[in-house]
Amino acid sequence: MAPSYNAKEEDGHQPGATGHGGAGTMTNKKPDNTAFKQQRLPAWQPILTAGTVLPAFFVIGLIFIPIGFILIVYGLTLLIDYTGVDMSSPCYNCSQSYSWNNTQSCTCSVHFSLDQPFESNVFMYYGLSNFYQNHRRYVKSRDDSQLNGDKTSLQYHICTLNRCSKECEPYRSSDKPIAPCGAIANSLFNDTLELYYIDPNGSRTAIPLVKKGIAWWTDKHVKFRNPSGNNNLTVVFQGTSKPVNWRKPVFELDPLDSDNNGFINEDFIVWMRTAALPTFRKLYCIIQKKPNNMTPTLPRGEYILEVTYNYPVRSFDGRKRMILSTISWMGGKNPFLGIAYITVGSVCFCLGLVLLSIHYRYGKRNNSAEISS
Amino acid sequence: MPSSNLVGNRERQFVVVIGFSLTLYLTDITWEVRANSRHFHKHRRRRSFLCFRWGRYADNVVRSFKYSPLTFLPLTLYEQFQRAANLYFLLMVVMQCVPAISSIPWYTTTIPLVIVLSVRGLKDLANDLVRSLTHPPITRLSPSLSSLTNWRGFTNVNSLFFLSIPTPFSLCLPFYLSPSFLLLFAPHPTPSLPLSLPLSGIVLCEEPNSRLYTFRGELHWRGERHPLDSEHILLRGTVLRNTDTAFGMAIYTGSDSKILRNVGQLRVKRTQIEKVLNKVVIGVMLFLLLMALLLAVGSGVFQGRVSSQIEVLSALTRGNSPIYTAFLTYWSYVILLSPAMPMSLYITFEMIHVLHSLFIGWDVEMRGGVERSIPAQARNTSLNEELGQVGHLLSDKTGTLTQNRLLFRQCCIAGNVYGKDELPSLCPTSASPQTLDLSWNPFSCGGLYLSDQRLVDKLRGQQCTQSRQFLTTLALCHTVMTEWRNGEGAPVYQAASPDEEALVGAARELGWVFLSRTRDSLTVSELGVKRHYQLLTLLDFTSQRRRMSVLGKTDGGLKLYCKGADIVILERLQKDCPHLESTERALDLFAQSCLRTLCIAERTVSEAKWEEWSKTMAQAAMTTRNHDDMLEQLHDDMERDLKLLGVTAIEDRLQDGVPETISLLRQAGLKVWVLTGDKKETAVNIGYACRLLDPDTRLLEGDELRQLLQSPDPEITFSKGKGTELWCVDRERAGEKSALVLTGPELVNIHYRSKDLENLLIQEPEWGARFMSLAGLCQSVLCCRVTPGQKADVVTLVRKNTASITMAIGDGANDVNMIKTAHIGVGLAGVEGGQAVQNADYALAKFSFLQRLLLVHGRWSYRRIAVFLRYFLYKTCSFALVHIWFGFFNGFSAQSLYENWFIILYTVFYTAMPVECLGIFEQDVSAECSLSWPELYKVGQRQELFNTWLLAATLLHALYTSLVLFFMPLGVFYNSALDYQTMAVTVSIASLFSATIEIILLTRHWTKWSVAAMCVSFGLFFKSPVDYYFPGVSQNAFPSPVVWFTALLTAWTAVLPSFTIRTLNIILTNPDRHRHGPVELQKSGFRRGDSHRRSSYAMSQGRGIGRLITSGASRRITFPPVDRRGTLGDNVTLAGQTQSDDAPKNITENGSSK
Repeated sequence: MAPSYNAKEEDGHQPGATGHGGAGTMTNKKPDNTAFKQQRLPAWQPILTAGTVLPAFFVIGLIFIPIGFILIVYGLTLLIDYTGVDMSSPCYNCSQSYSWNNTQSCTCSVHFSLDQPFESNVFMYYGLSNFYQNHRRYVKSRDDSQLNGDKTSLQYHICTLNRCSKECEPYRSSDKPIAPCGAIANSLFNDTLELYYIDPNGSRTAIPLVKKGIAWWTDKHVKFRNPSGNNNLTVVFQGTSKPVNWRKPVFELDPLDSDNNGFINEDFIVWMRTAALPTFRKLYCIIQKKPNNMTPTLPRGEYILEVTYNYPVRSFDGRKRMILSTISWMGGKNPFLGIAYITVGSVCFCLGLVLLSIHYRYGKRNNSAEISS
Repeated sequence: MPSSNLVGNRERQFVVVIGFSLTLYLTDITWEVRANSRHFHKHRRRRSFLCFRWGRYADNVVRSFKYSPLTFLPLTLYEQFQRAANLYFLLMVVMQCVPAISSIPWYTTTIPLVIVLSVRGLKDLANDLVRSLTHPPITRLSPSLSSLTNWRGFTNVNSLFFLSIPTPFSLCLPFYLSPSFLLLFAPHPTPSLPLSLPLSGIVLCEEPNSRLYTFRGELHWRGERHPLDSEHILLRGTVLRNTDTAFGMAIYTGSDSKILRNVGQLRVKRTQIEKVLNKVVIGVMLFLLLMALLLAVGSGVFQGRVSSQIEVLSALTRGNSPIYTAFLTYWSYVILLSPAMPMSLYITFEMIHVLHSLFIGWDVEMRGGVERSIPAQARNTSLNEELGQVGHLLSDKTGTLTQNRLLFRQCCIAGNVYGKDELPSLCPTSASPQTLDLSWNPFSCGGLYLSDQRLVDKLRGQQCTQSRQFLTTLALCHTVMTEWRNGEGAPVYQAASPDEEALVGAARELGWVFLSRTRDSLTVSELGVKRHYQLLTLLDFTSQRRRMSVLGKTDGGLKLYCKGADIVILERLQKDCPHLESTERALDLFAQSCLRTLCIAERTVSEAKWEEWSKTMAQAAMTTRNHDDMLEQLHDDMERDLKLLGVTAIEDRLQDGVPETISLLRQAGLKVWVLTGDKKETAVNIGYACRLLDPDTRLLEGDELRQLLQSPDPEITFSKGKGTELWCVDRERAGEKSALVLTGPELVNIHYRSKDLENLLIQEPEWGARFMSLAGLCQSVLCCRVTPGQKADVVTLVRKNTASITMAIGDGANDVNMIKTAHIGVGLAGVEGGQAVQNADYALAKFSFLQRLLLVHGRWSYRRIAVFLRYFLYKTCSFALVHIWFGFFNGFSAQSLYENWFIILYTVFYTAMPVECLGIFEQDVSAECSLSWPELYKVGQRQELFNTWLLAATLLHALYTSLVLFFMPLGVFYNSALDYQTMAVTVSIASLFSATIEIILLTRHWTKWSVAAMCVSFGLFFKSPVDYYFPGVSQNAFPSPVVWFTALLTAWTAVLPSFTIRTLNIILTNPDRHRHGPVELQKSGFRRGDSHRRSSYAMSQGRGIGRLITSGASRRITFPPVDRRGTLGDNVTLAGQTQSDDAPKNITENGSSK
């Protein structure tokens, strides 16, 4: 860029401009003769030429392409589809037999192997596809005040004039008010995933899955709160009924950790943070790196994924997946972003080349003509 | 005498009878006014409450404000909801309140709507307050009497009057706002009216209307009916002269009066940009409605095919049929997509307009008048950008290009040229020309612009009879009248044309003082010696004759004093006239200096000849057949064998800077047309003087023009015809070097007896188109002898046949039509009343400010507004259309991709300020450069910055951006753990980035405000929580690099096309070449006219008032104090003559010479 600082107050009186100049004399006379009113504010007027603009294409191209490569290279991802669509897949039976009303658990185990060891913390996700979690009606079907611990939204039976929001329709109440109400909560993902490492000697080692810290801190502590007043959630949620599709009430979601129950159950919170697109993944748990740091978190080898198959997706042709991913400083591996960066960077660079050739072919003649005239 | 005193004095004598009643009398003559029955009809007075009115007659108070505390709210709301846009947004608000379809909450539209309504309401209120605080503009209509204060008159600030009794003479001269005489006659019965009051009578007339020049009515008085027409009425603001007392009756009062009806209606003008914008807005609306429809169909299909399979979703829509869902979704999408057409567009647009108008008013370089006290004024605040697109400038001549001040500059007597040979343009401010010592002359009161001691010496030395005769002629041959005021040593001259005033004034300065005139005598003081001339006959000026003569009788015998156009006089000279050759040389010399010349000649007439001639004249007056021809013959007979005395040269003073301005405007690609009521010669002369015509410009006029127009394709004939001429090298040049001179009446007489040319051009589109295509090839068009109505017709002609923007500029009441008809009307403030300014969109103090108004303010405005609008559409469309694409991925459920508050704040805060700064501060080149590169103006004329195609490109770019804004994040977020709210924030940031990058690319003039606006907008987004409804998102999404990488890449990809095109533009056209600073213009020296060009006869306007003068019937004549005794008797006889109320129109030459 070749900036030219054009302080117009200084060159305001061009002799060749007009026959009736004299702004200078007026400056003293008229109090309202400010630079603003006379449109003579000092200003920076960049003078753009091919020499200043063309490098931008190359610079941006040269910045974007490496970023793209970094984004592609870093991070590892493994994706296991355990929906059980194929006859051959281990979960086929479960998927065929299951519906929401089933009370019988169905389990299946999926074998897979890791070709590369996963270092550092590994994040385990479950993924769903064709599940329109961003449908407007679905997104609206929740009661944020209830989830924030507002007792009144737990306790009423009858819609009063000021409190009857349609937010949770049609999952507002059956005979008792539902807690948590709404379609989102009602469709909580309830498959259980367990991961086992198979030692070369054949023995199975359960891999510890940490369920804490998978939800946003703000969600867990600000947005979602259990109704206060009593530490005993059973008492708090007395008089409410569980969502229709749930097997167990909200205060029994995590049998292992009593602090992870109620509305602040992290799985629940993660689910309630609706996805942007119909195909999405949600954080299921974290596999923390080994404290000694000598062996990778997930060494290469054979694994078994044990699925307690509860969640039906067959009706809408959905898919269920388990995803393992490492996370670098820029988040999880994101091949699309990397490719996009490389593409846009290259396009930029090529455009720069094309424009440069145009500049040499036509621009020069044009400019020299301007100058000579 | 100050005019306020005048009002006071006269009103006491003036009986204003206000009283009204209504009877249905005739079908259209339904307005009844009764004299002196005030109490009787008082209850019919118009009253109003809020916006309801009843009653028939307006009271005589002219309210210039429309709001009261009580009526403000309902009135302003009523007015604002008449705008389609506001209604549309109100509809949106109502729809958003329906929960079933409300895709975004109600306040997203309500808050901006309330802001818009209150801003506009407050603006109207402020305007109204200003109007009510300052004088209502109408009262300023009271005419400026400064130059003519010797006329007895009064200002009638009341309303429209029917003048009943002018006394003691039946004839008064109401002085309208232009210096032309209109005669006013009382109807027949009135002169004998007793002065005893009250009168009684009924006037039945038309309903109040705006037609100034027509009136129909009847006076019922003492059982008789007298028809009334426009000659009997006085308009509000009229000055009545020549009478002390008049009785009248108010017919229309207050807001009913014709002037008010006429003035108050500023036609709503729409700029070309607005029209294009509206078209595009409607197009975008239709597109949005169509998209909403398609998405609604999609939602119906989705519900039928997909969501029925998903238990979760089917439960939500249980009970609704797909069609019903689609119906609801349609409206949801209409709401969701509505931010693409934000209402802030219109309000910001309006605010920028207002600010641009203020800039025009603030510009010190456009202040004119004494001490630069008159600022330029944008009376219509919504036309600014059109100032940058003007293609045709139609200008009045008198008072606009010229100062309407004629200066006696030079003369040639007996072959000797007196006076300095100065070019008028070189000494615009010769304020002190009085280098001559004229103290010997007691009547001298300054104002002589000819300074040549030789002439004075010659005159005083009694040596040269010819020069004495020359001045005698100047002092005698005219129709000027004098008025003597108390305490003044010299008479004040009242002339029908300024030329005469200049000539008689010059004679006075040089010692030949015209003292007074009666019906048949003239008194002149010649170097202190008082002489009476008996006025035998006065052969008046007409446009055909182009000369006037006075036959005077003194002791020395009879002499005919004649002055006239050179062509006319030179052919009537006696044989072997001395000094002919040198005088012709002088004529050429004067013509080169663009002076208006008159030849002065005399002839000695024998008594016998006069006797014979006057007899024949008397006979001729009796005959009715060939009356005009015979008169012509007789005049010709008298005005021959003249002896040439000399030539006068009068400078028609151009206004300051007019030639420079016109040549600059011509360079800027404007076609400057001059429309004048003057004769062709005058107009052409001025055309040369103000560089509208180049010295070698070929004038196409008369037959030639008609032949060209008759040919089927004038353009071809035109260029062919040119090809034969030597000086014409190529067609291009031929066009530049010719001008059309349109003299309507002349052409009529040649070929189209029924219609004059302009009517022909206007009424027959084919001819109009031909004429315009021809005019397009020429450098200018001069229309001479056009009436105010024809001026407007010419404007209409241009508007009809070209796409270019027309601007009309004028200063007088006769330009009002034109000013109102043109796209932009400019009135020159100051000189001639306020009529032009009242009706104009812009008021300037000087013509030369036009260059700044157009080339600087107009060009900037056009660029700013064009860029502003394009950018605004881009940013809102690209922002809102994202929802269309998102619909495909959320089951067409009208889910919004933005946080609710972001939708409001995006247009109001996050992206508004930088573009507002652009709309206010942007300057592609500085003011100085704009003026030194006038061709930059052509961008606006060609509509290069704002046209349908460019807007379509902008909208395509917006569409592309919206695609990128959605699909780039889609790729990133697809099958990822990032949630909906993070994606919303990412898309928000990306759209904000792309909008900001785009405005950075557009802003070429970075003031501190632009930088601040950019920072503040960005700061507002990141500082104020993004998460009004998305708690915690900013804390979780902002630290995430993916969000930033995505947003950056998206924004860059979105602006890449426009960046590339801009770069290409820079490479190929180097648009910044004008920014390096103003370049000294090559001043093309003002070449003098070629010698073949003769100057024009220096008499303005049509027929003179000679008859009136010589009839003697009408004038209140004042005399020099010493002479009062002697002429008293004369005065009495004059008064007696007025008993015959014959209109002076019927007084013939014959009668006058008796």
